[in-house]
Amino acid sequence: MEAWQKKHILGIKELTREEMETVFRLAGAFKELSHRQVKKAPALRGKTIVNLFFENSTRTKISFELAGKRLSADVLNFSASMSSLNKGETIIDTIKNLESYHPDIFVIRIGYSHILPNLSRYTSASIVNAGDGSNEHPTQALLDMFTVHQAKGMLEGLHILIVGDIMHSRVARSNIFGFQRFGAQVSVCAPPTLIPYEFSQIGVKVYYDLDEALPDADVIIMLRIQKERQVHSFFPSIREYVENFSLNASRLNSIKKDCLILHPGPINWDVEISSCLKERLHPLILKQVENGLAIRMAVLYLVGTRKREYEISD
Amino acid sequence: MKLAIRNGRIVNHDAEISGDILIEDSRIIKIGKINGPVDEEIDAAGKYVLPGLIDLHTHLRTPGREDEEDLSSGSAAAAKGGFTTIFCMPNTDPALDNEGLIRWVIEQSQQQGLIDIFPVGAISKGRTGRELTEFGSLKKAGCRALSDDGDSVGITSLLRRALEYAKMFDLLLVSHCEDAALSGPGVMREGVISSQYGMAGICPLSESLIVFRDIELARYLNARIHLAHISTRQSIDIIARAKQEGVRVTCETAPHYFSLTEGDVERNNFHGNWKVNPPLGDARDIEAVRQGLKTGVIDCIATDHAPHSQEEKNLPFEEAPCGFIGLEWAFSLGYTHLVKKNILTLPQLVEKMSFNPARIMGLTGRGHIVEGSRADLVVVDLETSWRIAAETIVSKSANTPFLGEVVQGKALYTIHQGKVVYRQT
Repeated sequence: MEAWQKKHILGIKELTREEMETVFRLAGAFKELSHRQVKKAPALRGKTIVNLFFENSTRTKISFELAGKRLSADVLNFSASMSSLNKGETIIDTIKNLESYHPDIFVIRIGYSHILPNLSRYTSASIVNAGDGSNEHPTQALLDMFTVHQAKGMLEGLHILIVGDIMHSRVARSNIFGFQRFGAQVSVCAPPTLIPYEFSQIGVKVYYDLDEALPDADVIIMLRIQKERQVHSFFPSIREYVENFSLNASRLNSIKKDCLILHPGPINWDVEISSCLKERLHPLILKQVENGLAIRMAVLYLVGTRKREYEISD
Repeated sequence: MKLAIRNGRIVNHDAEISGDILIEDSRIIKIGKINGPVDEEIDAAGKYVLPGLIDLHTHLRTPGREDEEDLSSGSAAAAKGGFTTIFCMPNTDPALDNEGLIRWVIEQSQQQGLIDIFPVGAISKGRTGRELTEFGSLKKAGCRALSDDGDSVGITSLLRRALEYAKMFDLLLVSHCEDAALSGPGVMREGVISSQYGMAGICPLSESLIVFRDIELARYLNARIHLAHISTRQSIDIIARAKQEGVRVTCETAPHYFSLTEGDVERNNFHGNWKVNPPLGDARDIEAVRQGLKTGVIDCIATDHAPHSQEEKNLPFEEAPCGFIGLEWAFSLGYTHLVKKNILTLPQLVEKMSFNPARIMGLTGRGHIVEGSRADLVVVDLETSWRIAAETIVSKSANTPFLGEVVQGKALYTIHQGKVVYRQT
């Protein structure tokens, strides 16, 4: 395995295919660790990880927390609501403050897009993006790709269909850049109001009609819809959204037999996906959770044990 | 007091000659060969002498945010950039919407300022877009133009009344063209880059739809209107057509619209220092702005000098305030990006930065070097390259995307009413 170079994991945009393959290989090994009697490896012993969450998150936070702990790191959880930031303490102040503890890795979830390169100037620690605004959610995409890779054996040539609020979705962006880098064909399907402007220029196929998009798909990623989007007229009602974009039993008849259906969770049942499909979808969703832990262990391991510049020079 | 500027290349918008200029007190009394004793001499051999630059669009943050800029620091920055007359926008706190405040700004600027500062009064009380200010009183206090800059006048009927009422006082209305609802939560130009990074986009029509509205109102009412900080190719097309058809519209652009694009926002990781409104456009917009300047569709270059504290510019891109400072290098950017690239000649740059602004504001005796006119001049060195650096900034704020940029063209002496108010050290 080539030495890992990247100090930060800020987005899939910045990762090469080889780097993602390294993450997958390592995740495969870490997945096995979770089935042992002693579920802990000493890889990051003595390292400090700060989970800095400026936005509510349960799943991603506990996944990162457990990933750090399984690697024997000291994990600090810091949740700051954006409202306290508005009262004067800035994000930069918070980072500088926590920097006094000399953390090795910051895992950051924040409501602002692509802010992490600017924040990285205020810390010597590595930064792992746990979701930034509508920009990227790289570990979610890595776990989605890893899950698909495990099920299909490869990613190249697959038809990936992402359905839902593409415009506001960091999961969609990370998955698009990731799957494309592996030579998969990515399509998106949503009402035109939720497709970013000139999006076809980044090489995705755009569908407005789910029934037209479904038959080709090898993988369908259903995105969570924020119910309040209708307030800003992205669509007129949940009812009409469901009618056109929900994965229901009858639509399921038109998909490929071996088509994988993924959802980053949490699911609005009977909105994105009909609740009658719960039974069928559950095993895969649980697999995503398990893979998510392994992917986050791999990412933390790679940035946490990376050969630093000064070590290379001597 | 006699001041002679010797052996310079004197550049007006319509002619260039080599020679001396003799200034007595605040006037130019002779152009040609100056003999006889004087009190002070400037050797301008190899340098260029231009009419003092005139900026129709600055924000001096006074009153309210004197921590970001005040009349003294703003005028020092202007003098350093070669400006002898600047207009400051009324989006202060409180807004410059009454006679008292306008008189106060003028008084203060005469006490502290090195150059002429003309406050632009607000169109609506408190700049809230609801009720007209007292245009007559504002005019009496010294306003030549009115604007709600920072915001568009959203209610079309109010703008209509404003355009009509302003005729009575020959006040120029300066319009910030933006459909606020269409801009919505946008923070940068809507396009492939905003789409890739999940940044809320501002549709370019947000500007041009209001450009169209304002032009049609001006046409219908046979009123005069000046459009601020024009940035999109759609707007430029509409203005070009209107001008051909005889609508009394003038407009300005700012240096960043002929030198930066949305790609620079991406390359600089969406730092707040690259955030501005209207947002930076794409390559086609830059080209349209350059062509618009060349063909005369765009009448002038204004800085839209907008100081902000670094604390605020360091906020997340979505939260950071909009705007760049620009007084100290607007001429350099014009020279570097327009004259050096053969888009404008030097006389044309003088036209955009001095002659036309004077004409648009009805300032007689400025913007043109002739015997008898005000001795508002700038002596520039066009040979030396220099780097825009934070340490040398005179403005109280340093929010500019041009830090580190190497430019050419620099004021050596700025002369306001016959007095040297800036000399390069």
